[in-house]
Amino acid sequence: MTASTALPSSLIATLPGYSYTESETFALEQARILEQYWFCAIRSADLPNPGSFRNVQVGRESVLVVRGRDKKLRAFLNVCRHRGAKLCTEESGEVRRSLQCPYHAWTYGLDGKLVAAPNLSSMADIDRTEFGLIGVHLREWLGYAWVCLAEEPPSFSETVMGAVAERMGDENAVEEWHIEDLALGKRITYDVAANWKLIIENFMECYHCATIHPELTEVLPEFADGYAAQYYVGHGAEFGEEVGGFTVDGSEGFDRLTDVGEDHDRRYYAITVNPQVFLNLVPDHVILHRMFPVSVDRTIVECDWLYDRSVVDSGTDLSASFELFHRVNQQDFDACERCQPTMSSRAYGNGGVLVPSEHHIGAFHEWVNKQLAG
Amino acid sequence: MISVCSIDDIPEGEAFRFNADVPIAVFNTGDALYAIDDTCTHQDASLADGWVEDGCVECPLHAACFDLSTGMPSGPPAKKAVRTHQVIVSDRTVYVAINETPAELPVGEEIGVA
Repeated sequence: MTASTALPSSLIATLPGYSYTESETFALEQARILEQYWFCAIRSADLPNPGSFRNVQVGRESVLVVRGRDKKLRAFLNVCRHRGAKLCTEESGEVRRSLQCPYHAWTYGLDGKLVAAPNLSSMADIDRTEFGLIGVHLREWLGYAWVCLAEEPPSFSETVMGAVAERMGDENAVEEWHIEDLALGKRITYDVAANWKLIIENFMECYHCATIHPELTEVLPEFADGYAAQYYVGHGAEFGEEVGGFTVDGSEGFDRLTDVGEDHDRRYYAITVNPQVFLNLVPDHVILHRMFPVSVDRTIVECDWLYDRSVVDSGTDLSASFELFHRVNQQDFDACERCQPTMSSRAYGNGGVLVPSEHHIGAFHEWVNKQLAG
Repeated sequence: MISVCSIDDIPEGEAFRFNADVPIAVFNTGDALYAIDDTCTHQDASLADGWVEDGCVECPLHAACFDLSTGMPSGPPAKKAVRTHQVIVSDRTVYVAINETPAELPVGEEIGVA
């Protein structure tokens, strides 16, 4: 088969293999996708106090998110304005009053303003705001801080809230879960040796479900047909009749979250917010994945399981609940890691094919190509 | 005696910096006003940019702490005291009487006004 061979109508082409292996392509994706769109960086509650900070990699940049003395979250490029040293070298922590460069002690307030530096008082012409840390756009939604490195960020309501509304078929549906009020029950960080697009494509389809997800298919029998919730608009995959809840063994879960309506009960909803968030909604909890693409063949995925505060505070054993999607994650990431090394094979030079239950992934590929075309 | 500023120019927890023989800062702790030499005796940094707490000011650079009423450092990295100066408030104007003893400056710094 050659590139010019027309595909049978059941199939459409994927991206070519080099799209997953070439560092030039990844560099372009960092510049034109990861640094242009709203990027879900951290859970707001992870920074509880003034001075709490965390660094995350967004595209090619290290971004520092810090809570100010006024309790507001702010994001900055994590680079000293003096000689360019990385300002905060620890991934997370809490400073008392200020952010100080470990090289020459240029010292910034939690609002980013230059507060002090050796001999600064004899350099009266230095404007402390102009030589403060470079700010990054930040917006809080669903209890998470979303940042955008673009000078002019795209509309948050269109690109983030709109993506959720479009998949749910209703712009207010997600509010029934009150995600911003939920408590963190479990967090697992996965270091995945695969390109970020492989992980998105995997999440979007369920053609693989019956083969690699025995526990999930037990809970959601319709997944055995290979049609993911994301194939549809406003569709939640229904729990099996014998199934008690969204748990690893089909046992009862927790009480349905207060405002989740009957029509969303006993169903699983899955949403992708490009370029790096997966949102999973079930009646008694929410699973939110944040992907941090770090190189062409490596992606860190931080997965949060969120429950009603009373459930987490009670100290109840959550393991049957989070174990289901933890297994799904492991099974999915194993599959992605199986694909990554072979993306450079000449067998995949022109890419592969998408079957009808995967055709909606073509829209993701079109979106990627459109961004990269500039 | 130097007329420095209006008392309204120094909110609680803040400082007002001015130039005499060396830079001097007047701090408002909420309880009282204190004037000390503004330059940390450890490295050239403005104490007026530091943090006021419990009657002390903490240098913003290396966290040396000075007692605002005595000028004494509470411990390393500063070893020498800063001078203290008398503060008088009259008609909401803040006046400072400059201490005539020579100022302690960080190693390598000469007296001079920025």
